[in-house]
Amino acid sequence: MGFEDLVRTHARDLYRYAYWLARDRQQAEDVVQEALLRGWRAFPRLRERAAAKSWLFSIVRREYLRALGSAAPQTESLDTMDLPDERQELFGVEMRDALMALPASYAEPLALQLLGGFSCAEIATMIGTTEGATMTRLTRARQALKRLVAPRERAGGRT
Amino acid sequence: MNCLDYRRALLAGTGEADAMRVHRLQCAGCTAEWQEHAAFEGALRQALEVPVPEGFAERMTTVPVARRRRFLAAAATTLVAVGAGSYAWLARQDPLALACIDFVMKEEAKSIMMGAMPRAEARVALAGTLPVEVLEGVGQVRHISPCPFNGATAYHVVLAVPQGKVTLLVMPSAPMRGVRHADKEGMHAAVVATKNGSVGIVGADAAVVMSVAGAFQAYAATRSA
Ligand SMILES: [Zn+2]
Repeated sequence: MGFEDLVRTHARDLYRYAYWLARDRQQAEDVVQEALLRGWRAFPRLRERAAAKSWLFSIVRREYLRALGSAAPQTESLDTMDLPDERQELFGVEMRDALMALPASYAEPLALQLLGGFSCAEIATMIGTTEGATMTRLTRARQALKRLVAPRERAGGRT
Repeated sequence: MNCLDYRRALLAGTGEADAMRVHRLQCAGCTAEWQEHAAFEGALRQALEVPVPEGFAERMTTVPVARRRRFLAAAATTLVAVGAGSYAWLARQDPLALACIDFVMKEEAKSIMMGAMPRAEARVALAGTLPVEVLEGVGQVRHISPCPFNGATAYHVVLAVPQGKVTLLVMPSAPMRGVRHADKEGMHAAVVATKNGSVGIVGADAAVVMSVAGAFQAYAATRSA
């Protein structure tokens, strides 16, 4: 598959992935466009064509981190491990708002798992952590979302 | 597999393995949990699928063209900065590349005077070798016409790039490998492979010729995957 075909196949999910990193439509578009420009230059040197999809997601991630002004593979903005506080009166919210309430460090593995279709091992490699830590993040992210979208009475909130 | 393992695996979203399915089929609690979880996963997937701007995928495959052009301009500048000394290897004269230079010196004016082919026809004729869209990504296409060259039909293209003009001879029936060069009377030529054929690039500036050749090689590389 050539570069253009790859882009045509994955552009929409790359945009969504960038959106869950940046939480901003314009920035998501800019990040993907910049990443694909770099990708276009690097593609002829890509050895493992079978890994092209994870490579595309990885260059979008790298571009996002670069845009944040950090050359480090891990930045604070993706390292925040604080989940929405249970005491916060957030429940019965729409799933998308619940996702918005999650830090990117939790939303990102979910996006990679469900939009990209990557395994825990692949996600771990892409975000630079262990497979166990990835499973923990995915589990905690779903637990938090279930709590946030649960109706009021089930969440044990006030009446 | 017990209920706790089953629910942990659901939360990690790793899919239902055989051992899990065996457990679910004999556990009413986990069956209920599984049904609820399926609805949750559906909602989660929908929520992640934020609306994508209209025509985004198409734009991502075509819009960067302007940026690529700027990149080519930068690449050419870098090559110029490296200095003419680096082009000593250009002295190796390849007959096909030399023929491209001869074409520009003797036939180009005549070919242009005979008129261009309709652009729609050119798009069809070049699609299998070096699509017009790719040419447009590198520069402004000023002229395209078929012409006899090297014993077959080639397509004569005049391409205006930011640093000047280059002439192309697109040869659909002449596949090749590697890069061939020639240098004659102040003209430089490179011939590189493209999809199902090759293309000769001729210009007065070796750096410009090389950057255009590089762009076509990059295209050929993305297409051969
Ligand atoms: Zn059970």
